[in-house]
Amino acid sequence: MSTNKEAKAEFDAAPWAGKTKRYDIVKEGTIALVFVFVLTVVLSLIMSSPDEPPLTFKGWAVSNPDNLYATAVQELAGTSGTATYGGPYNNASDGLNVGPLWLQKWAGVTHPIDAANDFVITPLSTQVLAPEIANAVATWKSAADSQRQAWATAYDDAITKVEGKLSDVAVGAYGPVPVLAQGLTDMAKSGALDAALLSQGGFFQTDNTKQILFFGDGAYLDDAGTAANLQGGTWGMMNETGRYPGQAWLWLYSFWYQIPPFNNGESKPIGANADAYIMVIMGLLSLGLILIPIIPVIRNLPMRIPIHRGIWRQYYQSQGIKRRKM
Amino acid sequence: MTGWFADFMNHPATYLKSGWLQISVTNLLVILLMLAIFTLAIFLPFPKDKNRHHE
Repeated sequence: MSTNKEAKAEFDAAPWAGKTKRYDIVKEGTIALVFVFVLTVVLSLIMSSPDEPPLTFKGWAVSNPDNLYATAVQELAGTSGTATYGGPYNNASDGLNVGPLWLQKWAGVTHPIDAANDFVITPLSTQVLAPEIANAVATWKSAADSQRQAWATAYDDAITKVEGKLSDVAVGAYGPVPVLAQGLTDMAKSGALDAALLSQGGFFQTDNTKQILFFGDGAYLDDAGTAANLQGGTWGMMNETGRYPGQAWLWLYSFWYQIPPFNNGESKPIGANADAYIMVIMGLLSLGLILIPIIPVIRNLPMRIPIHRGIWRQYYQSQGIKRRKM
Repeated sequence: MTGWFADFMNHPATYLKSGWLQISVTNLLVILLMLAIFTLAIFLPFPKDKNRHHE
């Protein structure tokens, strides 16, 4: 280390020898709070807030009834995203893992959801039904699990085979499933399904988990997310609807989803468990941020990149310490 | 809330895309504004204390 460097290091380590001034941090905090409050109110008055029309089951049933119908069949067959998700909704799969850490499985089923009953049978059962649909509900409820599974799986496979074109589905032993799916689609068209799903909670219902999961199983929510640039694969985590600014500070969380292997859900083990791996990566990076003061090299960066000398340049000049070349 | 600016804000945003990088013009403006404020905070001199000219 040169003498000059030693002198600078000694100077930086020495107690502050410059001017001091009485400083009221409460006053500054109050000014900042009032400023931000006024700015928020003014911007809210001028810019308002995002005003996207809500997504509803009625909207889904009207805009894409065949997709809602096919999704209802998947719920009955247990092949939908929700029915096969695993924790915290059911035990259908082990869920995401990071190596030996089966985080989703270990957390267990804390919000149990029976897709067939919660999304189809229970909502239908809340209505005064046409005889045909009432009979279908009764037939479903009285059938053995294996029989229900056979009906719904056969119909789900048949719909998948014709790529969702319902008019081309071959005749088969589907039991009450077609009537149940049509009954739910008609119920959704009337707006009753929105109310029925909402009423499954308490009096003051604030838990929309079931609605969102059901939406997520079909194309309606997915299409809306794509149209609004809110998909995870296109930095959607950072975006807001319309021209409003989004959550730009989430850029690093969103970044990982744009690059391999995280952006390939088929890639095992990382891509298929991208959410868990990215959570771990961000946790480690956040830990690194907290521990900056004790991490060698990193903790010395202010000495190598002396931004503080730019801020307090008058003081450093007055003390005869020149700015280091950056 | 209505008004021309609110209406303007609720229209679909413009996105800039280059390879895997994509950002809305609004987010880009906010980030540039933050960088500008940070730069100003570093380079603008501290206000002079009128009562302490001798220092």
